[in-house]
Parts: sequence; C-alpha cells; structure tokens
Amino acid sequence: MALSLAKLTRTNNKVLVQGFDAINIVRKGAPVIFQQQIARFPSSKHYEPKFRELRRKKFLKINLPDYQKLRTERDLPADEARMNMKKEGRLPPRTFQERPVNISCTTSVFEPFIPPEGDGKSSMLSTEGAKDRLTALQMKGKSRLELRKIRKYEEGFDIKEFAHTAQDILLQAQYLLQNVEENEDQLHDLVTEKAYPEMTFGLWNKTLRWKFIESVEPPRSVHVRTTDMLSKTNIYAQITVRMHTRQILALYDRFGKLMYGSEHLIKDVLEYVVFESHIADTYGKWRIHGKIIPDWMPPREPLIKTYRKPVFEEIPDEEEIKNEQKPEEITPASSGPSLAAA
Amino acid sequence: MAASCCAAIIRASRNSLVRIPCLVQRNIGAIHTNSALLSIKNSELDQFQLGVRVRSKQWDRYNEIVYPPLEEGQTPRPAEITHVRFNVKYSPEKLWYIACMVRGMSIDEAIKQVSFYKRQGCVHIKEVLLEAQEMAVRDHNVEFKSNLWIADSFTEKGEVVKGLRKHRSLRYGIVHYRYSHYFVRLREGKPPKHYYPPPLTGHEKMEEYIRDMRARRIAFGL
Repeated sequence: MALSLAKLTRTNNKVLVQGFDAINIVRKGAPVIFQQQIARFPSSKHYEPKFRELRRKKFLKINLPDYQKLRTERDLPADEARMNMKKEGRLPPRTFQERPVNISCTTSVFEPFIPPEGDGKSSMLSTEGAKDRLTALQMKGKSRLELRKIRKYEEGFDIKEFAHTAQDILLQAQYLLQNVEENEDQLHDLVTEKAYPEMTFGLWNKTLRWKFIESVEPPRSVHVRTTDMLSKTNIYAQITVRMHTRQILALYDRFGKLMYGSEHLIKDVLEYVVFESHIADTYGKWRIHGKIIPDWMPPREPLIKTYRKPVFEEIPDEEEIKNEQKPEEITPASSGPSLAAA
Repeated sequence: MAASCCAAIIRASRNSLVRIPCLVQRNIGAIHTNSALLSIKNSELDQFQLGVRVRSKQWDRYNEIVYPPLEEGQTPRPAEITHVRFNVKYSPEKLWYIACMVRGMSIDEAIKQVSFYKRQGCVHIKEVLLEAQEMAVRDHNVEFKSNLWIADSFTEKGEVVKGLRKHRSLRYGIVHYRYSHYFVRLREGKPPKHYYPPPLTGHEKMEEYIRDMRARRIAFGL
C-alpha cells in the first residue's frame, strides 16, 4: 500500500507501513495481525492540529519589515508606483519644481548640416563628381550670413584658421578621454555639457586607448548657424567642421580584454564635428557640441564578443493605429450576408 | 532588555493577546516624503534607498576594479562579478546550507539545483544568481552567460527583530525573526574539479607519512 505525498500530509506525516506477517499464511481463518510501523517525517507543524488557533495566539503579532516588497517597489516604473501609492492611500511625492537650467550651452544641434553622399570616397573616374563634391562642401549663403554675425562678436574671426583650432580641440579632448576621472575639469573646458555625457558614457570601468596618426585632408569648416536662447541678443554659434583623419581606437574591458577596435589597425575616419560657443559671452569658448553621423556612412564594426540581439517590441505608427480603428466601424454592416446579394 | 520589554507588554496583554507594533522602530510608513527618489534612477549609487540597504561598503567595490590592458603573452584574466542582497527574510544559519551547496558549481547547475531544492531560502538565492548573471553579461563584458561558476557564496547575519511568545502564566519566550545578507561572486570559466581540497589518496598519505618520519630530528643532539 503505497501512500502518495498528499495523503502523508493529511495523516500528519505518519505512514502506516504494512508489515509482513508470516502467521497469516499458515493459520487460515485466524484474525489478521498487521505490524504497524509509524514513520514520522520532519515538519514544522505540530502533530495535533486540534489546537492550532490557540497555539497561534501565543505568538505576539508583529509587523515585520518587508524588504523584498521595498526592493520590488523601488524598481517599479512610475505609473505602477503611482497606482500602488493610491491603493495604500499615500500622498504623491512632491514634484521637484526647481530644475537646474544650464545657460552655457544649447541642448541640440540646430539645423544640422546634411553631408553630401559619397563624401570621403575617392574615385579616380569622374572629375565632374569631384567638382560637385567640392562645391557641396563650400559654405553656402546662409552660413555666410551667420558668419557675419559671429564676426560682430568676435573680432578677426578667421573661419579657415578656426578649422585647425577645432581639430586641435578635438584631438586634445580625445586624448583626455583616456582617463576621464583625472581629466574631468579639462574635458569640461573642451566639451559642452550636452556632449559630455555622450562622449564619456560607459567609459567607467574600462580602458580607452586612442591615437591620432595623421590627417588625410586638412580640416574644413562646412556649416555655420547661430541661435538665441531666452533673449534675442543671447546668441550661440555652432560651426560644423569636416575632418578626415587616420586614428587608432582600442577599448578594453575591466579585465584587460579587448572589447572593440585594435591598437595596431589604423582607420580612416571622416567626421563632421559640431563646435559651439556662447559668442554673446566675452569669455565664451569654442567647445565640442556634437557629431553628425549621416545615414550613408558605413556602419561601425561590431563588438568583438558575440551577444544576443535585443528584441524590441514594434511600436506601431500613429497612422497604423488609425487604420486599425477605421475598419472596425465598417465591419458591422458587412458582417452578415448583404440583403442586396440575397 | 527583554525583561523591561516584557513587563510593559505583559501588563497590556494580561487579559488577551493584543497586536503590538514592531519592537524595533522602522519608518516604513513615512516613505512618501522620500518617494521623489523613485523618479531618479541614479540612486543606484546610494547605499540606502528608501530605507533599503542596497549597496555594500566593500563587496560591490570589487566590481569597480579595473585591470590594465593585457599584454601579448599574458593569460587572459577571468571576469569576476560580485553581487549581494541584503535583508533576506530567512535565517542565516539555514541559508548557509544552501549557500554552501552552491559553491563551486557552474551557474546553470546552481540555478537548476536551487530551483528544485525544498527550502524557502532557495527562492532568494536563485533570484540573486540570475541577477548576477544578467549583470555579468550586460555590464562586465562576459560573452557567454553559461560560462560562469560560483567562486564565493556566503551568508551574513542581517537584522534580527525580536518578538514574544507567551507561555503558561507570566512566562514569556523571546522569538527571533531573522534576516540574512547573501553574498555571491561569479567567475568566468569552467568550474574547478575540486572546490575544497580533495581527500588524500592512499599514495599521497603514504608519501606524507614517509616525509614526516624522515623529518624527525633529535633536539640539541650532537
């Protein structure tokens, strides 16, 4: 007679084990004597369930701190957290109304430069193509007008000389990136507050090695724009500089293993770097503000290690959602067989 | 301390056992003033978040060690990831058994074993191991999430909340509600054949015996 686990618990972890009785076989008709062995299994329950309630009352009820709940609450997204707080009757948090506003730089690149396709590729075939490319890189009308604005604030501003100083700024910033902790202050002088996190994100706990070999083409200023913030006289200028250089980049992880790039392979890099300055400020410096990566640029090399591609949920377009809604309104009429057909 | 607590509580509970708030004061109800932190996810850098101890003083700092890039000829260094969970509602002595079981296993084997072991503490350990595995792949450049083994796994005593249990007449017993801290360190690579030093083979025992016998000297002898 094999008892299942479920039966065991019901009978308070006691198992009635049928023992072998040789006498039964010999004496027919005699009363059957079974050897009963009670095997007990370990359990935190008392063997007599009759007085469970009284036994429970002996213990003082205590509200134990639930750290697991706090841990899960901490990681909830904002709307779910708000729902939980409403259920419990807790007041919503006081919103932090004082937001720090940074006036030393703008928040984005205004009217970004659209690099002409096929730039940076040398083709021996057509001279016409080369001419077109050169003209595309020359500064057009609006850029020249904006340049005049800059010349009002900065006397003797030479756009061609600026391209070279811009490249120097970029090279210095890249060298300083190799040790962000030490060079934080200097980096802030060369990089705007908007671009700083973009440049330094993910560099903690990693070693970066970067080297500048030479420039393939001299740097060129390609695009100039100005914007104002808060008032019309508070002007910021952004200049896009095109740089074609040869560089070495190697990124090592925490344990010294190569993650990306190579220290021996020199790469040709074509960059369109945006520099910004608060020209209304007499002490405004030209700093790196961002980079323009055109769509036609060949993609970067993947990481050295293999990894799983992240799977994202498709975000339906607004038009698709509207189209989904429309057919639902029409279907009730056409759901059944039409009278006309019948 | 127990006696003074008992006296006050005994007076209150002379007739019937009354629900008494936690003996150790915790400001869990007053969290709403700190809830602004919920919107700031950068609080991962803080040790305490909403009254929950999250970062340790030293164990997590092992994750911030940066080794210099490997030179040619150097053997690659295996990745090491430390993780911790504080104030798990389970006795540290009981959790220790599970922590010991998991030592020296590969991460997959450990998760498998812990999923089917009949103990409550296993739930917490499994969560911590899965979290650590995710961290390893996401933050510490570990290529294969199965290529990890558990190098260190131990528990520490956490908070202890003391309650009371009534015995006959005015006798009370102190009940301890125990919390534990669970620490784990994952290392990249295959698990070692022996985590603890293996027992000596007969041959090794014999060699040891002979060595010890031959090392005997007569002190201050000629």
